[in-house]
Amino acid sequence: MEILFIFTTIIITIAISIFVKRRSVIEFFSVLTALVVLFESGAIALKVSSVGNYTPFGLFSVDSLAVIILLVISFINLTVAIYSIAYLRQETAKNIIGFTRVRQYFTLLNTFLLAMILAIGANNPILAWISVEATTLSTAFLISFYNKPSAIEGAWKYLIINSVGLLLGFFGTMLYFTAVKFPDESGLIDWQLLLNSASQLNPVVAKIAFVFVLVGYGTKVGLAPMHTWKPDAYSKAPNPIGALLSGALLPIAFMIILKFKRITDAAVGQGFSQHLLIVFGLLSIVIAALIMFNALNYKRLLAYSSIENAGVMALGFGFGGMGALAAILHLIYHSLVKGAMFFSSGNLLLKYSSARIANIKGATNVAPITSTLFIVGFLVVTGVPPFGIFLTKMQILSAGIESYPLISIIALFFTLLVFVGFLKHTLAMFFGEKPKGIEVGENNIWLILPPILLLTSIIILSFYIPSFLSALINDASVIYK
Amino acid sequence: MTIVFLHLSKKNFSASIAYGIQSLVIVLFFLNSFFETNNLAILLVVFLMLIVKVILAPLFFIRLIKKNALAFSVSTYLNTPLTIISIAILTFIAHYQKFSPLTSIVPANQDSLSLALSAMFLSLFLIINRKGALSQILGVLSLENSIVAFVIFAGLEQNPALQIGIMFNIGIWILIATIFMSMILKHFGTLNVSSMNNLKG
Repeated sequence: MEILFIFTTIIITIAISIFVKRRSVIEFFSVLTALVVLFESGAIALKVSSVGNYTPFGLFSVDSLAVIILLVISFINLTVAIYSIAYLRQETAKNIIGFTRVRQYFTLLNTFLLAMILAIGANNPILAWISVEATTLSTAFLISFYNKPSAIEGAWKYLIINSVGLLLGFFGTMLYFTAVKFPDESGLIDWQLLLNSASQLNPVVAKIAFVFVLVGYGTKVGLAPMHTWKPDAYSKAPNPIGALLSGALLPIAFMIILKFKRITDAAVGQGFSQHLLIVFGLLSIVIAALIMFNALNYKRLLAYSSIENAGVMALGFGFGGMGALAAILHLIYHSLVKGAMFFSSGNLLLKYSSARIANIKGATNVAPITSTLFIVGFLVVTGVPPFGIFLTKMQILSAGIESYPLISIIALFFTLLVFVGFLKHTLAMFFGEKPKGIEVGENNIWLILPPILLLTSIIILSFYIPSFLSALINDASVIYK
Repeated sequence: MTIVFLHLSKKNFSASIAYGIQSLVIVLFFLNSFFETNNLAILLVVFLMLIVKVILAPLFFIRLIKKNALAFSVSTYLNTPLTIISIAILTFIAHYQKFSPLTSIVPANQDSLSLALSAMFLSLFLIINRKGALSQILGVLSLENSIVAFVIFAGLEQNPALQIGIMFNIGIWILIATIFMSMILKHFGTLNVSSMNNLKG
């Protein structure tokens, strides 16, 4: 029972973070938990790739897409745990935070992890909804972690916008339930039952329900125009949390949209959901590209990049077929690279004590390894060849060029604009004369290793995908085409 | 009616009481459902809702209002006449023919479903139109009540796991939102969210 082992370990670590007063113990258990979660997730992934869905008990079940996301999250979480220790120690040394904050951080981090894993495996749309809402509640405190007015503001926006979004998502979920005759006293309706009952669903109700679900969970994904919380939340949260918000939470919310898409497609055909995904996807790419060009803060820049990439994924699933396969790969690559970029931007924040692009000059001279990591991350995330995202973007656009040529061309133009906008900021930050008073040299090896690990993995995955992962991706693309 | 009152109310205290009354009405709907079905799980939900939404949540807010002397709620983005016109338009839209597939899920409850739908729209408008953090929280909670009312009229309330899940969730949500309100008060000295303008670029 891998999943029980995962849950038990996380709960024990949460308890340790609350009750134990030794920092090193809390840090040790957080990393140990991350290792256990990764190891067990790997074991589950191998099982799913060989025998299909993993369902240890009724309320929990993971299919091929869910296990891919579980694996990605576990990996990012391990790097986040390692990075957080060094990052928070540096902040403690600078008197930015004290031990109480560190305890809060690891408690909330592990609560967030638990909620995410529950959301991934929830075999019931309501349990999935509660778990996603739980991620909102735990991360709201992580966003307001520094307890500054701007952080409180960002967290408040995040809390209100996401809560409203998720309530609308809940309403959409309820509309799907109109297709089901309550089977027994327990009244538990799982995804499969909803899918089997899709033919009973009134087609108009199914369409309205999907709109609500897309708006609701799309808020969590950060699709435009529900994206407004994202730059504020990402820029105010501690950098490792930004990595998790972008690399882990986004795919989970996306996965839930795709589960509802399957049900809607079974009720009314693929066209409706695909067209909606294309509209939201294109809008996200266009808005992100236009704002990125004039971004003033590099953490907000990463947030807009996430919006753009969420748009690319939405386009991929909207185009379907080869586009869906590429979108799943894109999801993996984006999660990994965004983690690396949040880590390297965190290193810059520690060096320059500022997230404003205008205050960062000559970073290649100040922190050459960190700068290299950020620049490589920029090249990966904007889709420069030969990295994986280049291929996935091209595959997605070519999947759409036949049926939606104009949309594909517009998307291509704005993804190029994203590259130009990002390049402009990157050149400004990493080259030129460094400001006076900035100490030259890298911060700490443990702040460098996690982004190296993530970038190395994305480079490897750009050229070689292990057979079990390839089987999972193919299977997921057939299910969620 | 309570949502319209929430729109027009100028006092935080009466707004909190209105929310309590609104929740009480939802509890009564559930109680009625229990008498019809004899489903004990629904009775459990009735008790939970009564404790969390009718008693604890308004008390939380009233304590906060008294503690911080927040007698008057802050202003709206639209003035009162425009607010009333918007309320009328949103109510009309909810009763519009286009939404009939939703409101005829249970044909016998068509009017009630239309009302629940208009309550949802008005709650969303409350969140957008009010500048006060407390009003925004009440808007979110009112939206949740409206959705639950829709669920009851659509005959979907018999799923107890669903209701217990929502109750658990809303209980925690109220707690966290209240903590955030205290933090906003501490940092900004007001619950007026239009004073929050630190995030740019």
